[in-house]
Amino acid sequence: MAQVQLDHVSMKYTGPDASVQPALHDVQLTLEDGETIAIVGPSGCGKSTLLKLIAGLETPTSGRVLYNGHDVTGTEPQQRGVGMVFQDYALYPTMKGKGNLSYFFEVHQRTEAEMEQHVREVSELMGVGFDVLLGQMPTTLSGGEKQRVAIARCIVRRPPVFLMDEPICNLDAKLRERTRIEMRRMLQKYRVTTVYVTHDQQEAIFMGDRIAVMRGGVLEQVGTFDELYFTPANRFVAEFIGTPPMVFLAVHKSSASLNLNGVGGWTLPADLAAQLPDGALLLGMRAESWAIGQGLAAHVSSIERIPTQQAAFVSGSLGAHRVHVLVPLDTPHTAQIQVMPQWDKAYFFEPTGERVLLTPAIPDLF
Amino acid sequence: MSDPIVVEHLTKHFEGKTAVSDVSFSLRPAEFLAVVGPSGCGKTTTLRMLAGLESVSSGEIRINGVKVNEIRPKDRNIAMVFQDYAIFPHLTVYENIAYGLRSRHVPNIVIRERVPEAARTFRIEHLLGRKPRQLSGGERQRVALARAVVREAELYLYDEPLSNLDAQLRHSAREDILALHRKFLRPSIYVTHDQSEAMALGDRIAVMRGGKLEQIGTPDELYSQPRNKFVAFFIGTPSINLFEVRLEAENLEWFAVHPAFRLRLPPRIVRKVGAYNAKKVIMGIRPEDFSTPKTAAFPVDEHNTVQGIVNVIEPMATGSTVYLSTAAQPAVDFAASFKVRLPAQYLGKTIPLAIHVEKLLLFDADTEESLLHGREEAHYAVSG
Repeated sequence: MAQVQLDHVSMKYTGPDASVQPALHDVQLTLEDGETIAIVGPSGCGKSTLLKLIAGLETPTSGRVLYNGHDVTGTEPQQRGVGMVFQDYALYPTMKGKGNLSYFFEVHQRTEAEMEQHVREVSELMGVGFDVLLGQMPTTLSGGEKQRVAIARCIVRRPPVFLMDEPICNLDAKLRERTRIEMRRMLQKYRVTTVYVTHDQQEAIFMGDRIAVMRGGVLEQVGTFDELYFTPANRFVAEFIGTPPMVFLAVHKSSASLNLNGVGGWTLPADLAAQLPDGALLLGMRAESWAIGQGLAAHVSSIERIPTQQAAFVSGSLGAHRVHVLVPLDTPHTAQIQVMPQWDKAYFFEPTGERVLLTPAIPDLF
Repeated sequence: MSDPIVVEHLTKHFEGKTAVSDVSFSLRPAEFLAVVGPSGCGKTTTLRMLAGLESVSSGEIRINGVKVNEIRPKDRNIAMVFQDYAIFPHLTVYENIAYGLRSRHVPNIVIRERVPEAARTFRIEHLLGRKPRQLSGGERQRVALARAVVREAELYLYDEPLSNLDAQLRHSAREDILALHRKFLRPSIYVTHDQSEAMALGDRIAVMRGGKLEQIGTPDELYSQPRNKFVAFFIGTPSINLFEVRLEAENLEWFAVHPAFRLRLPPRIVRKVGAYNAKKVIMGIRPEDFSTPKTAAFPVDEHNTVQGIVNVIEPMATGSTVYLSTAAQPAVDFAASFKVRLPAQYLGKTIPLAIHVEKLLLFDADTEESLLHGREEAHYAVSG
């Protein structure tokens, strides 16, 4: 296990690859020993490049990679000994599940007893039915089973850092749900320092102790779910975390009135009005940021009822803006709905969205 | 008015294997049907038979009263949206959208009017001159949708159209599909493996497994009255928790007994389980039917609680999902959804959970059929 540090790491590609290989700009990130960081971002944001730099499969143009404070920037991947799990499993096809797990011990000439013990420990943790998989050839395993073996193979040799690149995106929804619980428990139990790359924000929230959001080679923000959700650094992070995505309304503030172009206005509470500059602003609203039954009339286009959350989402429009509003599960479908921001749940950004002005506080529930 | 789309005893054999087996359903006018099931359940094959892209082994498909089994795809007046978009790389966005109209010899004057209109619906009017490779995944997807709306079809078919999109794009694409549906209000069938997408989109949902139709109903029916264990498990995220329990009648009361709990069954359930005294059954508890004892909306006692060890806490905007194991051995994993955020300090701790027993589901241990479906049996008391 190790602490991993990226110190002002930049990556520039030149030549024919330059357009397809996402670059990185001055990335600063510290993974604490035993921590799982989930890296999310849209395709091409550089998240896989970051993973390759940590593994040693790429060398940064500038900056350093440190394991436990030691500079490993120039160290070969084999010497770094990281564990990697990919989308496509990469199991040794000629070996049974157990052979895949024990291969490392054979190559590194560890004792049979040590190998047996590690394999047994991991297979117990992997849960019901895993020992059956150990006796099968990879070609007879389903996608989910292959990935369980691939993950177990990595865990069994106790790597200093564990790198996972979209490991379960090929599985169907129900299998994904089960596999990610197994993975999370395993990572918690062994406290392996892990970087988990995904494009799915909900998976990132589930897997990560902290979440790093990337865009265009830049690390936009690193933090816990609460930090990103309630105190996003900018519009991009705010929009990326949370479903349905945050809606942004271009508004104009003059003293205590906040006007939405062509629709109407709301009155700001005095203390909030004092904290915000006059002029153009971007108002960020999550589905649960709205109060219903007062304010401006929104046109309702559909209601999506989600019994598992005991809630429903109204999709509609406020003038030219699309909005999503969280309402009680049994709310009837009406043509219009009155909406007004709950000011302590609203987000304010500069008109460009690049800088946040005011966010809700992280709620203190206990 | 009779149902515009009728499928009767539809069956498909592939090289000795049965991909679709005796599937029957019908669509009402303007109905949006979502078809869900795990990979290989036959949902896509069913859709492709409707489109005419697969032949029918036996059974019948009728569109507006006309049997179409032998009618070629292009003569069926069906619009289809594919998972991989299937847009032509060498044609511009405009020509891609116009393609279906041109192949049906629609006059140019109509095409010039309809193509921009369809493009506007999906916010791609500024892209009409581009080639597909210059578009993002979300934009390509909208081109495929625009191509489907540009002409009025009798039936709209969607084959996992959103599965290649990022999570954030999927949400707005869903709205686009509903917008398309509301525009024409024609019968639509939407195939997906993602039950949450099916729940959000479908007026009704058909759940398939192993080529068979397991249940068809509104999202709420499937959620609260699943016909069998498979449907109960497939619908809802996180999945329903399943426990093997023994039913015991004692002094006019009935209990579901498990090493981890002994739950008193409510009268609604007792009325249906008369034949199962001292028998093993499968009990389902939805994650949202657990709550912390203090927040429970019902009186809490030893007969509706369970002790669980907290393994993982997943924060959600609306609260948290907590993954636990039963404190009693053998440990069984289960999930609970709370309206509040469980603080991280509870990780690894044992906590009591109240169970909303009115919402329990019970299934026969062998047939896996629901015990709560159908006619109520006469209630007869069994003395302990």
